[in-house]
Amino acid sequence: MKAATNTPVRGWRDRVFSAATFFFVSVFVLFVLVLIVTDVLYVDRKAVVTVLSSKFILHALWMSVWTSLLTTLIAILFAVPMGYALSRFRFPGHVLADAIVDLPIVFPPLVAGLTLLVFFSQTALGRWIQEDLGLEFVFQPKGIVLCQFVAAASFAIRSAKTAFDDVDRRYENVALTLGCTQWGSFRRVSLPLARNGIIAGGILTWARAFGLFGPLMIFVGSFRGRTEVLSTTIFLEQSVGNLEVALAIALLLIFIALIAVTAIRLVGGSALVRL
Amino acid sequence: MIRAEDISFHVGTFQLQGLSLDIAGGEYFVLLGPPGSGKTIFLECLCGLKKIESGRLYIGGREVTGLEPRMRGIGYVPQDYALFPHLCVERNIAFGLRVHGRAETKVTEIADLLGIRHLLGRRTDGLSGGERQRVALARALVLEPKVLLLDEPVCALDEVTRQEVCAQLLALQRQLGLTTIHVSHNLEEAFSVADRAAILHQGVLQQVGSLDNLLRKPKSEFVARFMRCENIFESRVMGQDACSSNTRVEVAGLELQIPGRHSGKLLFMIRPEDVLVRSGSALDGQGENTFCATLVRSRDCGGYVRAELAGPVNLIAHMTHGAFAGLKAKHQPSVAVQLGLERIHVLPI
Repeated sequence: MKAATNTPVRGWRDRVFSAATFFFVSVFVLFVLVLIVTDVLYVDRKAVVTVLSSKFILHALWMSVWTSLLTTLIAILFAVPMGYALSRFRFPGHVLADAIVDLPIVFPPLVAGLTLLVFFSQTALGRWIQEDLGLEFVFQPKGIVLCQFVAAASFAIRSAKTAFDDVDRRYENVALTLGCTQWGSFRRVSLPLARNGIIAGGILTWARAFGLFGPLMIFVGSFRGRTEVLSTTIFLEQSVGNLEVALAIALLLIFIALIAVTAIRLVGGSALVRL
Repeated sequence: MIRAEDISFHVGTFQLQGLSLDIAGGEYFVLLGPPGSGKTIFLECLCGLKKIESGRLYIGGREVTGLEPRMRGIGYVPQDYALFPHLCVERNIAFGLRVHGRAETKVTEIADLLGIRHLLGRRTDGLSGGERQRVALARALVLEPKVLLLDEPVCALDEVTRQEVCAQLLALQRQLGLTTIHVSHNLEEAFSVADRAAILHQGVLQQVGSLDNLLRKPKSEFVARFMRCENIFESRVMGQDACSSNTRVEVAGLELQIPGRHSGKLLFMIRPEDVLVRSGSALDGQGENTFCATLVRSRDCGGYVRAELAGPVNLIAHMTHGAFAGLKAKHQPSVAVQLGLERIHVLPI
């Protein structure tokens, strides 16, 4: 006797439909795996040793990790209140604000670096921030975080807004009648219910920040031991002909990204949020 | 206990217009109306979830018009209950206590009262409709409000569970002495719980009173139809009866008498259960408002038989099974119909 399952009885048309969807999943996943395997086969042992023993490369790895994590944290700090405000409140310029949030997703990342460079080097406000306030960003590690934030924060904000949109307002209303202030209903009800969407936005932001290359080359450059991150290291290594080393670094990047994304997904999908 | 004074609110093209209502302490009040009539909006205004544009609201003698929802001292059960999906049953019920920093011992007490103690450790997504309803009720009652607002609390339940839950709601309301507003579009529900009721239509309060009053003395054609009176007739006054204080009217060529003095055109009704139907042979020697009709169709509705009668005017009559059997309608579809003067109610046009 067959065990009962939670799926409906399916005819041959349903099986064809399922097979068609799995076909696309298989093609994409296999294609990416083939590319990674090609890299693995191309890289020799010497290149791996070079990568793991180079203090500049390890420094670039550390820079990539902490700047992208800090960027993600700052982006979420902005995304949660912004997503809630854009989802719940209607204010003059709401549509414009909503559109501006999407701009960094639409324009090429290179533009973010160029714009930041022009702002800090060519405008009075930018120069005042750098020179008088002493907050130097151009060609500085701080600039990496700023550049990553401009290029990637929109993903977190957009995801947070969508997540709050999906939270039924009736939950908040009930919380208000049970003694909550608006902040209380946000903290105890809306935020836990939007948690998965916010985490998803965080993953996207981190991924974009971790792999960012073009705007960083323009805004902070790639100074060994100072502003070099993994993505710019790959560029520098391949530009001087060290293709095996560049690919070994790329594999390291892929490996870290895979572990991070899987770990966050596993944590994000865990048990009930505590009140 | 609850007083609404001339409150107005609009959203889109819908408008709640000058609604005034007085509900006594400890009363079980049912707000009836078709979907889209503004019942939920009125409850939300009372909760403070919608800001009224004009008028005043009082709860327990205190004006609450400008107060936040959390300060109004109300228990609110929204339609479909809105149980927090990220919290288990126990934490749902304890939500208000936690917000106020109070001890959670009351959770088991209220769970016992509603018979849901065994559900406390469960997630909310596996609960049945009746269980969800009781959890939502427990969540609202745990803070011991004086006023309970229920928005269609049993509409998602099956017929049998609905009757049980209505009986439980009434018993609980009596036990705790809660002033309750129960929003519904279902007349049976109202009959099983209401001390008094009101009918809302397109944002306007049509009539407030006991259910018997709404049933027998509706103030408009809408209320009469909402209370399921199908026998509503437009008539023309022919003159006053010389021997009584009645008015003679003409409906589709049939002359009838209506209680009271009237002139011009008028609308009157008689409830289906008040239409007297007898076998055709009993027609001889009858008084006023008696005429012959033919039984066109009949339907067993459980507690009564619904008979459709065609004659000078078409009528619906609700009869007991015994009375219907006495008609011998199978062999003799012709019947005598009498509209008792005291049962006729004149509606304002």
